[in-house]
This record gives sequence, structure tokens and C-alpha cells, in this order.
Amino acid sequence: MHIEQLMLKQFRNYDSLDVSFDNKVNVIIGENAQGKTNLMEAMYTLAFTKSHRTPREKELIQWDADFARIEGRITKRNQSIPLDLTISAKGKKARLNRLEQRRLSDYIGALNIVMFAPEDLGLVKGPPQNRRRFIDMELGQIQPKYIYHLGLYQKVLKQRNYLLKQLQRRQTEDRTMLYVLTEQLAEHAAALLSRRYKFLELLRKWAGPIHHSISHELETLEIVYIPTIEVSEAANEEKITSSYISQFQAIAEKEIERGTTLIGPHRDDLVFNVNNRDVQTYGSQGQQRTTALSLKLAEIELIHNEIGEYPILLLDDVLSELDDYRQSHLLNTIQGKVQTFVSTTTVDGINHDTLKQADIFHVQNGKIR
Amino acid sequence: MYYPEPISKLIDSFTKLPGIGPKTASRLAFHIINMEDDDVLGFANALVNATRELTHCSTCGNITDQDPCVICQDTSRDGSIICVVQDPKDVIAMEKMKEYRGRYHVLHGAISPMDGIGPEDINVPDLLERLKNEEVEELILATNPNIEGEATAMYISRLVKPSGIKTTRIAHGLPVGGDLEYADEVTLSKALEGRRDL
Repeated sequence: MHIEQLMLKQFRNYDSLDVSFDNKVNVIIGENAQGKTNLMEAMYTLAFTKSHRTPREKELIQWDADFARIEGRITKRNQSIPLDLTISAKGKKARLNRLEQRRLSDYIGALNIVMFAPEDLGLVKGPPQNRRRFIDMELGQIQPKYIYHLGLYQKVLKQRNYLLKQLQRRQTEDRTMLYVLTEQLAEHAAALLSRRYKFLELLRKWAGPIHHSISHELETLEIVYIPTIEVSEAANEEKITSSYISQFQAIAEKEIERGTTLIGPHRDDLVFNVNNRDVQTYGSQGQQRTTALSLKLAEIELIHNEIGEYPILLLDDVLSELDDYRQSHLLNTIQGKVQTFVSTTTVDGINHDTLKQADIFHVQNGKIR
Repeated sequence: MYYPEPISKLIDSFTKLPGIGPKTASRLAFHIINMEDDDVLGFANALVNATRELTHCSTCGNITDQDPCVICQDTSRDGSIICVVQDPKDVIAMEKMKEYRGRYHVLHGAISPMDGIGPEDINVPDLLERLKNEEVEELILATNPNIEGEATAMYISRLVKPSGIKTTRIAHGLPVGGDLEYADEVTLSKALEGRRDL
């Protein structure tokens, strides 16, 4: 799939923009603070209805404006599909084929994007929520049902935490309600966990060989999922649900004492082992980068395999962070098949055919030349 | 824009209604000042009476102008079945169907710890009292099919189960007369879960 056209209105520093792209590599060049990342962010937000940089939607709206609009026309399975997202103080409105989509899960997944930004180098090193977010985003865009369960899970979790707080403060003694919410939570937790396990299986399949090859065949990558309950990855949803319920029963007193939910997919983590050693703790900077890059490249293949089309790749200011060998590995992978947007302050020093054939866009002060 | 105070007060009052924004509110307000005196008085009385003369039925909790309400008084209805709903509007929806001949119990809400609403804040204690005093065989839980409604149904069913009273939950699934292809996948999977033998 690819983005044919992108139109912005009052988005960040873009007052009004209408730009068309080819189905190949597009290089966005500009000085700092001219709007390179904003352009990337617009595409990302159009795909996920959320920015990768901020949870505060107001920041996306241009200063003094009431709303921001991102419109895109994408080609998917040889069909041209219009998408648009309007963000205002009242909230967001996402439309697919000019029809408003009230449920996020009906919208996300229409446009598939894989983004690689400097922050992603912290995927391996950073806190666990980075890795959970990675799973949620990637899984969500290939499986809308996952977003549905995630939304319900978060809602029940919030209710349950409120109840645990009330039990902790002895404002209520009602254990029956706790049991009911535990059952509800366990059901959605199991739906998430079983889907994450299946996703992990696919991710391993693709990331392993890629990592092996980027590391000059010197390293083997192993991805381990660390759940908060003991259950086999092969277990079905029912089995996982009952494991959650019995574990919740075992820790009920502790949860009340702490006034919060202590286990569940919102506390799980991923561990990456390179040559049998935890790369987060023992890996070099280079190994951590290679791991992050392998995961992103694996995602591209994974999405292609699951939905039959390559996603769009956004490389935000990240090419310069990689050494020549990793750069060319990345560029070889995308060559000719993945529509890619590369943002950079300069193309000097990057000698690769892919970039020489690329379309160049100059960004200056919220305008494109 | 400047409005004389009586009008701005009226506009303010209209904006408190659901679905009415400032524009509609000012249109309604200007319509009212051009209405006949009698009509305005009748309208105002209707508003006041609707809130003053209506109470909640002491048995089922439904809104009524007489206590107990018409449904609770109706001896031809089957007292062995109680349908539990969240809202008086749900009773009206059920009654439109003209198929159900049991009685009702209106909760006026759903349990939601987040909003500080516990079982004792909705009509649950009254329901348990009713089950003790009346000869009830079946409790139909017809709360809304969302997180809170579902939790409320599960909660009541857990409390009632030990007494041996049959508790049932209304089915979720495809709307009648609709097309399968237009159903969203969540509804469809609920419908599949709730399939039955033919």
C-alpha cells in the first residue's frame, strides 16, 4: 500500500498543505524545526488516530486554530481509499471512505504504518511500557479485535482499581463485586494474552533471521515474553482465563492491601536475549540498536505476510543514527517494495542507490517545495 | 451577543437538555416568547407537574404517578417473573413489544466503582427484599450489554443464585431483519457464541 496524497490543515506548523507522493522512497529534507517530524507525525496520526509524540491532542492543533485536519488518499489492493481525521477540542472524528467510524477498531488498520524514530532505539533499553506499546500498536493494526479487547480491558481495569481502592480504605466490604470484576478482567486479559502469544510467535519467526543477517551472522536473537501468570504459550483462551482467575484469588488480599491490580497484560514485559544474554542489561549500544532495527524490519515482513501488502515505513531522523552496514541493510530491505519516508537534515554521506533514486522534498517553515 | 435577561435565562435552561446546543436553545427560546399565553402556561405546568407528581414505585422503582405503579397493580401479570432493567425507558421499550407479561424492577443505573456507584446506590437492596417476599421463579437480567451493565447483571446473578431462583441474561447478537454482512465483527462473534440448536 502507499500514500498517494496528503493534505493538512492547521496541523502543528502546517497551515495548509497538499502534497502527492510516489510509491517509492521519499526524502524529506529540512533544517531543524521546519516541520519534518510534524509531517511524519501527521501520517502516523492518520493511521493510528494518536500521535507517537504526545498524548495531548491539543498540541497537534495549530496555535489559535479550532481544529486540525489530516486527509490522506491511500492505495490499497489497487483501490484508492480516502481517509481523514479531524481533531478539535470536542474530540476526534475519523472517516474511512468518507464514512465516520465511531469505533476505533473499525478505523485503525486501514492504513498500516511502521515507524522508526530515534525513540525506538529505546525500545530495548527503555521502560517496559515502551515494549507493551510496541506490541499493542503493531498487533492492533493487523488485528482490529485486539484493539476492541484492549479498550474493554483498560475500562474494566480502571473499574477494578477503583473498587480495590474502596476496599483498601474500607469504604466498602463487597467482595462479590470484586469477584465479578475479576472474572470480567480475566476474560479480556486472556483475550489479550493469547493474541500476544500468537503475535510473538510470528515476530520471532521474522526477527530471528533478520537479526542474524544484520549482525554478520554472529548473533542469535531470542524474544521472551514475561507474563505475570504462569501459563504455557500454547494454552487456549479458556485455560488462560482460568489461570488468571485462580492467580487473582491467590493474591486478593495483597491487591486489596495495595489498592490496585497487580497482575495482567498491563504489567507484562518482553526480554530480548542476544546469544543467550539479556541485551537490555548486558548488550552493547550496537546490539541494542541492531535488536530494535531487527524488530522494525520484522514488523514490515510480518504485516506483509498477515495482510498481503507492505506497510508504509517512516524513518524519522534515524538513518544517521545507524552505521553504514545497518543503513544499507535497511535500505536493501525496502528497496522497490516499501513506500518509505525518510526525514533528514542532509543526504550527504549516504551513498545508496535507493536514496539516489528517491524523490526529494524540501521542508521550510511549514511549507514544502 | 446581548440578550435581555429573561431570554438568556430561558436559553440557559434549554441548553441543560440533552442534545440541545446554544443555537437550538435560542431558536426554541425565541419561539416561546411568540407563543400564546395559555400555551406557555400549559407548557410550564406540564414541566412542573411532570417532576412534582411523578414518584418512584415503592415496589419496582419505575416512575409513576400512583404508588404502586400500574404494572405492579395489574393482577393479570405474571408475578413469578421479574425483568431487571437499568432505566424507566427500558420498561417502555419492553412494554412496546407487548409480549412480556411479567413484572419489572428498575435499577436506575449500573454499578460503576469509578463513578462511586455501588450496589446500594442503585435499586439492588430493594430487589433482594422483593425476592424474599414475593414468589419469584425467574429473574431476567436485561441490563445494557456494556461493561457496567454486564458487571451489574453478573453481580445480581451471583447474589441470587444461592436462593435457587433461575437467573437468565438476555441474548446479544444480530438485529432481526438485518443483513449478516453488515454486522460488525464484535456483534457477530457474540451472536456466534450465543448460537443454538435448531
